[in-house]
Formats: sequence, structure tokens, C-alpha cells
Amino acid sequence: MQEKTAPPTPRLEDRILAVLSRNAVPVFFAVLCLGGIIAARLDINFLVNEVLARLGRNSILVLSLLIPVMAGLGLNFGIVIGAMAGQIALIIITHYRLTGLTGICTAALLAIPFALLFGWLTALVLNKAKGREMVTGMILGFFANGLYQLVFLVLTGTVIPIKDEMLLLSSGIGVRNTVDLINVAGSLDRALDFLWNGLILVNWGPLRLGPWRVPVFTLVLTGLVCAATSFLIRTRLGQQMRAVGQDSRIAEVAGINVDRIRTTAIIISTILASWGQLVFLQNIGTMNTYNSHEQVGMFAIAALLVGGATTRRATIWNALIGVLLFHTLFVVSPLAGQKIFGIPQVGEYFRVFLAYGVIAVALALHAWQSSLRRKTAKQHGEKENSLESRPQD
Amino acid sequence: MRKNKSVLWGIIAILLCVAVILLNNNQTEETGSGSYKIGIATSTVSQNEDEYRGAEAAIAKYGDLIKHVTYPDNFMQEQETFIAQITGLAADPAVKAIVINQGVPGTVAAIRKVKETRPDMLFLVGEPHEDPPMVEEYADLALIPDNPARGESIPQLAKEMGATKLLHYSFPRHMSLVQLAERRDIMEAECEKLGLEFIFVNAPDPMGEGGVPASQQFILEDVPRQVAKYGKDIAVFSTNCAMQEPLIVASLQTGAIFPEQCCPSPTHGYPGALGLEITEEMKGNFPAIVEAINKEISSRGGDGRFATWPVASGYLQSTACVELAKLAIEKKIDLKDMEAVAKVVEEVTGASMRFSRLSDNGCFYMFLSDSLIFGE
Repeated sequence: MQEKTAPPTPRLEDRILAVLSRNAVPVFFAVLCLGGIIAARLDINFLVNEVLARLGRNSILVLSLLIPVMAGLGLNFGIVIGAMAGQIALIIITHYRLTGLTGICTAALLAIPFALLFGWLTALVLNKAKGREMVTGMILGFFANGLYQLVFLVLTGTVIPIKDEMLLLSSGIGVRNTVDLINVAGSLDRALDFLWNGLILVNWGPLRLGPWRVPVFTLVLTGLVCAATSFLIRTRLGQQMRAVGQDSRIAEVAGINVDRIRTTAIIISTILASWGQLVFLQNIGTMNTYNSHEQVGMFAIAALLVGGATTRRATIWNALIGVLLFHTLFVVSPLAGQKIFGIPQVGEYFRVFLAYGVIAVALALHAWQSSLRRKTAKQHGEKENSLESRPQD
Repeated sequence: MRKNKSVLWGIIAILLCVAVILLNNNQTEETGSGSYKIGIATSTVSQNEDEYRGAEAAIAKYGDLIKHVTYPDNFMQEQETFIAQITGLAADPAVKAIVINQGVPGTVAAIRKVKETRPDMLFLVGEPHEDPPMVEEYADLALIPDNPARGESIPQLAKEMGATKLLHYSFPRHMSLVQLAERRDIMEAECEKLGLEFIFVNAPDPMGEGGVPASQQFILEDVPRQVAKYGKDIAVFSTNCAMQEPLIVASLQTGAIFPEQCCPSPTHGYPGALGLEITEEMKGNFPAIVEAINKEISSRGGDGRFATWPVASGYLQSTACVELAKLAIEKKIDLKDMEAVAKVVEEVTGASMRFSRLSDNGCFYMFLSDSLIFGE
């Protein structure tokens, strides 16, 4: 199978090795997933259903990371703040009892001004912290979480005059820790139910597939976000972003307003993240008011890394493959751990070990790959790769 | 390069397909039997052991009838994984009832997800964290210590033990839980009635950046500070499981009063704080554990300053819910019948309980037990 497609010019083994090493991270995870599936003797129908749901749930959040990477800002841990904007919008529509598709669309519109403001503020800080965007973004997330808690635990019901028994604690101050999103639950996933309800159930003799539920409209939306992202890359703004991402000093000399481009990138990312969080929560159906957003950045970034992206280069395929692999691993690893060791809680520890270990492994593999690339670049003469090896800010 | 990539993904896709077909055949063979199973999801032993040990006891009693999984330690952030664990249990057609103990946030979402495809599935939830009315609507049974009533019983007990002040440790996340916030308010009112001074102190959230160690460190440092400020006759209470052990350690050192844990149980915090070894024959044998704690506390001069319930709430939620699930599947009990439910719970624990429910004819049951003061 490989012999037919691989071009014959260099030796076959070299060719395969090159492919494998270039895609070392995703290949490693695919092998890990497969091993886990076999070890756990998992019901594949369950796995497919679960991964389909997670693909719908998480893809937009992961896609929201792409543009800042392109603009040289690295992985945007600040999407936590975007997620908060989405949640604020959800709290508002829950208060006004908006339901179904109207509710979620209103939330999407409402999230924009919040995300714009938060994105702009984030960008202000990140532009002051060039070269340290990732850690700054992470700390900003913690800081914003404090503000968020202050607003919804203390100010709601006191400074913000809301009276809502369903939303507030019995004392009348502070939003409850769980907000029931039954009004909008599944409204995006099921928006195209009149065409096709997304249920797959096949019985071909011994082969039993399904029931799988495809979140049709959510996947359509994900496709739209992918298309919009790849369109944006081709516009003038996208070119400028790439120029800034390659080398901000040269871009500056070329007459590009670097700070403005970076701000735009962060704002777009924050808005996408707020929508991503809306998609995520409408699928889950309930919202942990004070915690739903906390790990959004961590998991989205881990998924992107697993998909083979680096802090400097990330594509749509990296994002989608990353979601697929990372979440397969998340479903498989606790069950695999449980089956292998025979003790239920070891399954959980095994999952934690894998899930967080993979992030470290992904980063280590990237480092290994780039050192490999540098070596080959040296062999082939440095002229060709002068752009890639230029130091970044 | 493009070509290479497509080759790669082709290989992966083919491998996955092979796996699908292989495993699909396995799966159909496995699920042929007509008997039922009960799924149970508990925490790991990282924060508190009772739920997990209760599930182990159920497995010891019923063997293969029970399917035990654990949910993430970081359940607040990893809601997706929690839901996947529950839907994973429900993916086995033999599973007819699922016990979730504790019912951490995401429980209602998980129940809804499962009921989409398995409307007949029974859900029994121990210690639900989410809004009680919401849980009552979706779960077939919920079992929790009567927190509003404990708002009165804890200050009363503290006064009986000689306290003049009551210190309540908590943090914003817990104070956004309806029942805990309500209990705090009741406690404050009850303290005023009894003439106790009520003090509220904010501790770091163990789910926050510093994690469990930071909040435990805070308790170890703060109790001596508070005792120095308010004197020894201060009763300390915390809403968080991870804080119980340092709270007991610090109370023993400073002479403060410890009337009850967040989840009352002889095994919650005490064995760890006292360095007690729970031997094989002591496991699940609560009178023996109580006896050992009693001896240790007395030897360290803590007589009359420490108390708890004679039974473990987390443990009984696991064991009683499994028992109730079994009876309900066999159609031997109506889960809406409070007296019948109370009878089963009392049989399982061997202690008398006072039962009440959230709304009439609802299945959200709250229980209360008498306290046991060590060294008396």
C-alpha cells in the first residue's frame, strides 16, 4: 500500500521514515489510542459516538487558537477569557428565558461585544509582553477568573439588580453554581433535525454499527469556521498576520502596524472562543458557572499540540486531527487503565498520567523534530531555510 | 508532502477499521446474558475514601453484579470525562441502574445524555452537588445528609461540647452551592440563638491554582492563629473534604473543638490525622474503627473535644444506593416510598436515621444521625 504511493526517487525506507518523523506526534498518539482501544476491549460503537460528540463540542474552541499562532503570538491561553464572554451571554439569555435556536443565536450576538472588549484588553497586555505571550495569557486567565467570580458571586443581585429565583442563590446574591441550560440544550446540534436527525444505525449481518448521533449543524458550523479561517489567511489581513508572525521587526519596517495586527488576531481568537464555549455548553446542557471555562485553554491547546502543531505553525488539519486523537485518548485511557490494572481508580490515575504526560511528550517530540530539521538544514546548506531558522521575537 | 500525509492518514484509518470489525465481533459475544448489572461511579481515594470503599464493599457482596468506575479528581474542570464515564457505563446494555456517589456537577447533564438513548435507566445519586430541585427532577433517587438541619445540629453539638465560638471555613465555589450556602445562613442564625459567636473565614479553594496542598497548608497555619485570637473554646468546621485532616491535626495541637466533618464519618479525616492504620479486618467495621479512634484521641488528651457520626455518610450512600438499585430493578421497592427507603438504609448501616425529603412525594432524601463524642 505504501509502495504504490511513495515516489520512487529517494530510498523507500528513508521516505517512510521521513513521513513518520515529520508526523511523529500524531503518529505516536494514534498508536497509543489503538493500543488503548485494544487493551480496553472497548465497545467501538460507544467510542465512535463519544468521539463524534466531542468533535462537535471542541473543534471550534481548538480552531480559535489558529490565528494567534499565525500572527506569532504562540498558543493563546487567553481563550479562557473568550469562554467567559460566552458564559456571560448564556447567563443573560437564561435570565430572559430565551429558548432554542433564537436563544443560542442571541447568545452568540451578545457574546461579541464582551469578547471584543475582553480581547482588546487581553491584546493590550500581550502587546506589552512580547515573547512571553503564552505565560502572560495563562496568568491573565487566572486574573480574569477572579474578576468573573467577583461579578457573579458578589455583584450580581447587589450592584447588578437581578431578581431571578432560578438563577440566583436563595440569599438573592450570587449566581448558582450550576445553571440549567435546558432551554438551549442541543439547539445547535439538532438545528437541522428537520432534514436529518443525525442518527446512524446500521445492521449488516454480524456487523452492528451505531447508534451514533452526529451533531449535524455543529459540524456544519465547524466547517464554516474552518472555511472562514482559511479564507482569512488568504486576505491582505491574513498576509500581514503571517508577516508579523514570521518576523515582527521586518513587518514593522515594511510598514505594517504590528500591534494592531496582533490585537486583531487576539480579538478574532477571543470571539471564536466565546462561540466555541457556547457550542460546547449547549451540547453539555448544564453550565458550571464558576468552573466551565477554567480548563478550556489547557485542553484546547493540548489537542492542538497532539494534532502536530507547534507554537509557531498550526493548521486546520492539526486542529481537527488533534481533537480526534486527544479525545479518543481521553475516552480510552481510563478504561484501558482499569482493564490493565484491574482497579477502578488506577484507571483514573492512568488517564491523568496519559492526558498530561502527552502534553509533555508532544512538546518534547517537537523539540526533537526541530533539532532534526536544523541538522538536515545544515547538511543541505542554510540558504534555503533562512526564513525558518531566523530567530523569533 | 501532501501525498505523504494522505498515506499516513490512510494507514491510520485502515488500522482503525480493522479494529472496529475485530472488536465489534467480540462485543456481541460478550453481552449475551439476560442478567442485569449495576454501575457505580465514585471518586478515587485522593480526597476521601468512603465512597470508594463503599463501592468496594458492594463488589465484595455482589461480585460481578457491580461495575465500578471512578470519575476525575479534577471533576470541576473535566466534566466531559465525567459524563463519558457515565455514558460508558450505560453503553453496556446489561447495566440497568447507575449509582453516582458523589453527584458532582455534570451529573444532571450525564443523566440527560444517557436517558436520550436509555430512558429506562435508573439513576441513584449520593451527595448531589448540583441544585437540589434540578437533581430531584432527573434522578430516580438522591441521598444526602440533611445539610439545612445540620445547620442547627452542629452549633447545638458545639455548645454541648463547650464551645463559645464557631468558626466556619469555606470559599466562594462552595458558597455558590445552594445547600451549603443555606446551611451557613442557618448556622449563623442558630449560633446567635444559642449565644455563640459565628466567625466565617475564607480558605483557598482546593480546586484553585494552589490545589489541595495550598488549602491544607492554610488550615494548618490558620487554626493556631484563630485559637490564639479567640481562645481554645472555639469549634472549627469546614465545608471541604480535603481540609478535614489538617483541621483535626490542628485542633489536636491547639485544643480547639472539632464537632463534625463536612461529610460526617469516623473514617473521614480521623485515620489520616491520627496516623491510624486501618487493618484488613477493620475495613468497613465501623464500631472497631470508632474504638481505635477513641483510644488514640484519649491518649492525646482530646477527650470530649472531637465528635462525628457513628456511620460514614459517603460509605452508606454507596452501599445503600446499590442495595436500593438492586431492589428497584427487581421491582421490590418503590423509590418514592420514604419509609421503605429509610428502612433499607437503616438495615444497611445498622444505625437509626431521621429521614426527610425535599418536596412531597419527591425522591430527594435527606438523612440525619445522632453524633458520637469521642472520649465520653
